[in-house]
Amino acid sequence: MIVIKVGGSEGVNLDAVCADVAELVGRGERLVLVHGGSYLTNEVATALGHPPQFITSPSGYTSRLTDRRTLEIFEMVYCGQVNKGIVERLQARGINAIGLAGIDGKLWQGPRKEAIRAVENGKTLVIRDNLTGKVEEVNVDLLNSLLDAGYVPVLTPPALSYKGEAMNVDGDRAAAMTANALQAATLLILSNVPGVLRDFPDEASLIRRIDVSEIEMVAQEYAQGRMRIKLLGAQEALAGGVEQVVIGDARGDNPILRALAGEGTIVSGQQVPELA
Amino acid sequence: MAVVSCPECGADVEVGDDAIVGEIIVCPECGAELEVTGLDPVAVVLAAEVEEDWGE
Repeated sequence: MIVIKVGGSEGVNLDAVCADVAELVGRGERLVLVHGGSYLTNEVATALGHPPQFITSPSGYTSRLTDRRTLEIFEMVYCGQVNKGIVERLQARGINAIGLAGIDGKLWQGPRKEAIRAVENGKTLVIRDNLTGKVEEVNVDLLNSLLDAGYVPVLTPPALSYKGEAMNVDGDRAAAMTANALQAATLLILSNVPGVLRDFPDEASLIRRIDVSEIEMVAQEYAQGRMRIKLLGAQEALAGGVEQVVIGDARGDNPILRALAGEGTIVSGQQVPELA
Repeated sequence: MAVVSCPECGADVEVGDDAIVGEIIVCPECGAELEVTGLDPVAVVLAAEVEEDWGE
């Protein structure tokens, strides 16, 4: 069982991703695809006159401010164009893909953060209209029934809050929760960089292996921006029983096969002297 | 500059003229974190402990 998260950044090659999914499914591999759509969402939101707003948490993490209008645009892009675009690509390759959002069938459920803190112009603020949360529960029965019936699930945020609200969640961590719930051996987190970089954006500074015990150090010392969240997702996946996480590159050909061959940053429980 | 009473310790807490609703200020006496909930008149409550946001 493999869970593959493909980011929504500029440069991600969805045709190549879908070609690899078709290859693996053809070999009999069970897999679930999780995707993002941030780049396109920003473009569409700007075109619709509601450009993205980002907030910075007190400890420096940046995330999207998701008010109701933003959530609606987010759904248009993630659940609409991106999700159906992936399903279409897979169907064209003979794969019976089914696209679902986390709110469908309570696939992804969790608490919404009723209030969050952000730093703006040097002031720390409480923000209450932000529709975000995190995934705590995965509807494994639904996913397994789809997989058993031969479908390839293609999943996307939003998730469902315990109060029944659609909410934005981090896709990397949702993928990690999904991998845990399905007892997947491998989680791939693919985006538009080669992996975790020691000296961002120098792609030659790729860190090839990270031991689980080094994740926090690497997140603090080297990882920039959302890469820290990917490492957090990797940490959660490994803690939940996933054997190996590869943070890899979704640009270029064969992004999934290359990541499975170890190209990218391998995060696992094995001791690795390189960074110790 | 408005002065309000800290709901935790009763000390006087100054709220600057540039304060905005939702802003977190810290009581200089007891260190409690206070959320500005109104500006006219200025009102504060103890700020809830809330998580950071890691939404995409």
